[in-house]
Amino acid sequence: MTETQILIETVLQALAAGLFVGAIYGLMCAGLSLIFGIMRVINFAQGDFMMLGMYAVYFFLIVFGIQALVGNTVSPYIAVVAMAPLLYLFGWAIHRFLISQVTGIRTTGMEAEGHYAQLVLTLGIALVMHNGAMILFGPELVSVDTPLSSSAWVLGPLWGDGVLLFLNKARIVSAVISAAVVVGLWYVLKTSRLGKSLRAAADNPQASIYVGNDVDRSYRTAFALGTMITAMAGGLLTTNYPFHPFVGLEYVVLMYAGVVLGGIGSVIGAFWGGMTIGLIQQFSTIILPTQLQNATIFVIFLLIVILRPQGFFGRSVERT
Amino acid sequence: MLETLRSLRPFLFFAVGYLALAMFVTNSYYQLIMTLVLVWATFGLSWNMLSGYTGLVSFGHASFFGLGAFATVLAQVHLGISPWIMLPVAAGIGALAGVLIGLPTFRLRGHYFALSMLAYPLTLLYIFQWLGYPEISVPRVEEGAAYYMQFSEGRVYTVLAMILLGIVVLVTRHVERTRFGMSLIAIKQNESAAEAAGINTLAWKLRSIAVSGAIAGAVGSFYAVLILVITPLSVFGMLVSAQALTVAMFGGVASVWGPIIGAAFLIPVAETLHAELGSFLPGIQGVVYGLAIIGLIILAPEGIYWKIRDHLQKRKGKDALPTAVQESAAAEPSAPVTPVERPARELSEEIVLKVQDISKSFGGLKAVQNVSFQVNKGMILGIIGPNGAGKTTLFNLLNGFQMPDGGHVLVNGEDLVRRKPYELCRAGVGRTFQIMRPFKRMSVHDNVKVGAYVHAASEDEAEQITREALELVNLQDISQHIAGSITTKDLRLMELARALAGQPEILLLDETLAGLGSEESQDVVNVIRKLAETGKTIIIIEHTMQAMVQLVDRFLVLDHGELIVEGPPQEVIHNEKVIEAYLGKKWSAHA
Amino acid sequence: MLEIRNLSAGYSEIDVLHDISIQVEAGQFISIVGPNGAGKSTLFKTISGIVAASKGSITFEGQDLLKVAPAARAHLGIAHVPEGRQLFPSLTVLENLEMGAITDAGQRNWKDNLERIYTWLPILKERTQQYAGTLSGGEQQMLAIGRGLASSPKLLMLDEPSMGLAPTIADFVFDKLMEIRRDTHLTILLVEQRVAEALQSADRGYVLETGRVVLEGTSETLQADDRIRQAYLGM
Repeated sequence: MTETQILIETVLQALAAGLFVGAIYGLMCAGLSLIFGIMRVINFAQGDFMMLGMYAVYFFLIVFGIQALVGNTVSPYIAVVAMAPLLYLFGWAIHRFLISQVTGIRTTGMEAEGHYAQLVLTLGIALVMHNGAMILFGPELVSVDTPLSSSAWVLGPLWGDGVLLFLNKARIVSAVISAAVVVGLWYVLKTSRLGKSLRAAADNPQASIYVGNDVDRSYRTAFALGTMITAMAGGLLTTNYPFHPFVGLEYVVLMYAGVVLGGIGSVIGAFWGGMTIGLIQQFSTIILPTQLQNATIFVIFLLIVILRPQGFFGRSVERT
Repeated sequence: MLETLRSLRPFLFFAVGYLALAMFVTNSYYQLIMTLVLVWATFGLSWNMLSGYTGLVSFGHASFFGLGAFATVLAQVHLGISPWIMLPVAAGIGALAGVLIGLPTFRLRGHYFALSMLAYPLTLLYIFQWLGYPEISVPRVEEGAAYYMQFSEGRVYTVLAMILLGIVVLVTRHVERTRFGMSLIAIKQNESAAEAAGINTLAWKLRSIAVSGAIAGAVGSFYAVLILVITPLSVFGMLVSAQALTVAMFGGVASVWGPIIGAAFLIPVAETLHAELGSFLPGIQGVVYGLAIIGLIILAPEGIYWKIRDHLQKRKGKDALPTAVQESAAAEPSAPVTPVERPARELSEEIVLKVQDISKSFGGLKAVQNVSFQVNKGMILGIIGPNGAGKTTLFNLLNGFQMPDGGHVLVNGEDLVRRKPYELCRAGVGRTFQIMRPFKRMSVHDNVKVGAYVHAASEDEAEQITREALELVNLQDISQHIAGSITTKDLRLMELARALAGQPEILLLDETLAGLGSEESQDVVNVIRKLAETGKTIIIIEHTMQAMVQLVDRFLVLDHGELIVEGPPQEVIHNEKVIEAYLGKKWSAHA
Repeated sequence: MLEIRNLSAGYSEIDVLHDISIQVEAGQFISIVGPNGAGKSTLFKTISGIVAASKGSITFEGQDLLKVAPAARAHLGIAHVPEGRQLFPSLTVLENLEMGAITDAGQRNWKDNLERIYTWLPILKERTQQYAGTLSGGEQQMLAIGRGLASSPKLLMLDEPSMGLAPTIADFVFDKLMEIRRDTHLTILLVEQRVAEALQSADRGYVLETGRVVLEGTSETLQADDRIRQAYLGM
C-alpha cells in the first residue's frame, strides 16, 4: 500500500465514522434545539438526560432479558424505543416540578435575572443527576454489546487493491434510526397542530396566549420531547461507546456547539450542526491525539460562539 | 480606606472567634474541614467578584483555580520553587488567564457567556490529561518543610487560610465601596444605562475578571499545598466551578458575607457526608451541592444573607417610612388643570447641539428620517408625537445606543456621531430612561454616586458632586433610604440626579413624568425648570401634554419618523398637522 | 357582554389602571381613546390575563374572567388583536390563521371563516404561503385582524390597529373594519389614539387618561366635548 492509499483510507474512514456518529449527534442536537429553540432555556442537564438514556437501555436489557427472546442484534434498538415514553415522562416531570418554577410566560419579559435562576437550576439538576447516577450505577465504564458492534461491511478494494473501507454495522443502524427520527420530528413540527403550537409559542409567547394556546403546556411538551429525543440519541450511542455517569459533561458542550452552528430554533439545522461536529471530531483525530478530541470540540464551540455572536443574537433581538 | 477598615470589624470578630474555635480542634480531619471552609469561602468570594457584582454568571472559575494549583505543584516538582513564591505567581497567572478569557468572552451575554465559561476549564482539563498529568502530588520535604509551606500541625493551615480570606475580604470591601464596585453593580443592573452614565463597561469587566482570576489562582495554589495530591478532574472539574458558585449563591451574591455563610453551611455537611458515606455513595458531595442549588433557586433565589437582610430592612423600613408607598397610590387623578401660559424666555444665542439629517431604519421601517434641528444653551426642548413616531429612537441616536444610518450629531461643534454611549456621556450628553432602572438595594445616595464618577477624579470629589446633585432635586433628606423603598416620584428625581451627577451639558429625559399624578408631576416639572435656569440644556420626551406645554420653550413634533412641525408650544398645539397626527385627520374637519 | 368594574391593575407593585369601569353590550362598537401612556394597552392585557388585576372585577357573559386562565380566555370567544400586531413571524400566513383558529369555535367554522377572511382581506389569500415576518406593515395588520376573526369570536378587541401605519393604509384598515362590522354585527372593543376615526362609528366611547376613565358617553357627546382636546394637547 502506498502512502497516498493509506491517507485516502484514513480520510475515507474518518468521513464514514464522522457521518455515522454525526447523525447520532444530530439527533442529540435536535432534542436540545427543541428545548433551547422553543423555550430559550439553557439546560446544562441535557448531557445528563443523554446519560440517562444510555443507562435506560443498559438496564432495560438486563432487567427484561429480552436478548433471550429476540436475540442480541435488535434488542438494544427495541430498548431505545421501549424506554422513550419513560424518558418523556421524566422530562415532563422535571419541567413540571422544577423548570416551570423559574421559566415560562411569567419570566419571558425579564432580562438577565430570570435567565440566571434558570441557568443555575439546571446546573443543580445536572449535578444531582450525574452524581446520583454514580451512587446508583457505580463509576465503572459499561457498554452494551451487540454482534453488530463488532462486525462491518467492507467496501473495496478501491483505488487498486489497497484501500478497504470498514463500515461498522451498529453505527450504520444507529445513524439510520437517528436520521429517521429527525425526519419524523421535522414532519410533525411542520404539519401537525402540536408542531404549529410549539413554533408559535417559540415565536411569540404572548400572542400565543391571545389566540388561546396554552404556552406553558407547549413548553412542557417541548421540554419532555427534547429530553426524550436526546436520551434516545444516548441510547443509540451505547452499542459503540462505553459510558459512565459523567459522560454527559463531554456531550453537553458538543450539543450546544451543534445547535448554535445549525441556527437556533431549527430542528433540521440542529441536525446538520450535530453532523458537522461529528465530522470535525472524527477528522481531528487524524492530526490530533485522541485525548484532545473533546478539547477540539470545546475550542470549536468557543470559536463559533465568539466569532459569530450575531448569528444567535439575531433572533433574540428580534423577539424583544 | 478608613471606612473600609471600620466596616471590617464584624469580620475581625468572626476571624478571631473562628480561629479560637479551631485551636480546640485536635482531630486532623476536622482541622482540614475547618481550613476547607475558609478555602471555599475565599473561592466563593472570587466568583462573587465577577459574577456577583457584574451579574455575568461564570461556570468556569475552575480554570483559574486549576491553573493556580498546577502551576504551584509543577513549579515545586520540576524547579523546586517554594509555594510561598508560587502563591503570588499563581495569582498573577489567574489574573492573566482572566484577562485572556475575558477579552473574547465578554462579547457574549447571558446564556452564551455562561456556556462559554463552562468550556474553558473542560478544555484545560483535557489538555492537562493529554500532557500526561493524570495525578500529581506535592513532594514531601523533610528538611526545611516550612519553606515549602508544609506543616505537621494542621491548625497552621487554618490560620493561613484565614489570612488569605482576610486579604480577599479586604479587597472585596474596598472594591464595594469605590467606583470599581459601583461600576460593576451598575453594569449588572443595566449595562446600557451604565454605558449611558459614562462607564466604560468592558474595561471594568476586565478589571473584575482579573481580580477574580487572581484570587482564584491563589486559592487554587493554596488548595494544592493543603491537599497534596491533585488531578485535572479535582481542580478543573465542573464540581470545582459549581462549588464556587454554590457557596456564593447559597449565602448570597454580591456581598462579602454570602460566600462565607454559604461555605460555613455547605462544606462541613458535604465533607462529613463524603467521609461517612463516600466509600459506598461516591457522588454524595455532588448530590448535596446539586440539591442545595435546586432548593435555593426555588425557595430563596438570592441567598440566605439577602433573605435575612431584606426581612430586617422591611421591618426597619416600616417604622421609618410609614407613608412612602401609599403616597404614590393616592396620587390625585389629574383633572384638567387650567394651563398656565408661560411667557417666552430669553434664550442664549449659543448653539450646544446641532443635529443634521439624521436617519435610522430597522429593516424596512424608517424609524427616523432626515431629522435636523438645533438646540440653544439653556433651552428646554420637548419632543412629542404619537406612539411609534420614533422619539425614543431619536434619543438612542443622540446618546450613542444606536448608530444612525446617516447624518451628524454636533455637540458644541464637535461631530460625535458613531461614538460609544460612555464617550458621549463624557462629552456632556446625559440621559434618563423611560423604564426606570434604579439600583434597588443601594441607597439613594449611592445610586446617584454611580453617575458622579464620570467626571470625579477622587472619592471626595464624587461625594461632593453627589451631594450637590441630590440638593438640586431636593432628595437630600432621604439620601440614605434604600432605593427600593421610595416613591415613584422620588425614583424619577433620583434618576434625574444620577444623570445630573454626570455633569452633563445636555440632558435627555425620556418620559420622566410617566406614571405620576398631577401634583407629583408638578414637583418634577419645577425641578426641571430650575435646572434649565442654571444653564443646563434639556431635551424631553413626554406624553403628558399639559405639563409639557407649561414646561418647554420649543416643541419638535415627530410622526412616522419625520419631523413634521417645530416651534413654540402655543403655535404647535394649534397646528393642523399636529392635531391630525394626534387626534386623526377627521378631527380637524369635524372641529 | 363584557363588564369591567372598578378595575385596578399594573406591573409589579405600581398600578397603571385605577378604578376603571367599562361596559360593553352585545353587538356594540365601543371605542376607548386617550393619549399615549394612558393605560389603554394595559387594560387590554388585563382582559387577556397578561397583566394581573389588583382590584375590581371583569365579567364576560356572566362569567368571572379573572378566574379563567389567560390561555383559556380566547376559547370563551374573546379575540385580542394586539398592539404592534404580534404575529408569529416564522409561521406562514395560513399557519398564522390556523393558530387563530385553535379555539373550538374556530375549528368548527374553519372553512367558512377562512373564506370570509379571504373575501374581506384578499391580500392574505395572495400571500398564503409567505412567512408572516416578510409582510409589510399594513399586510401584517390585516393578518392580525384575520387571525382574530379566525377564532369565531364573540368579542373582537383591537389595540391601535393604525399604529405605525401610513395614514392612507390606516384609513384602509379602518374601512375594512367597518365593512367587517357591517357584515357580521360583531361586538368590537377598539383602542385608538386617533380619536376622530375611533369615535366616528362607535356606539359609545371612553376617554382614558393616566389610567383613569375621565369621560364617557356616546360618540356625539364625546366629540363635542373639548376635554378630549385638552387631554391630548394640554389645551
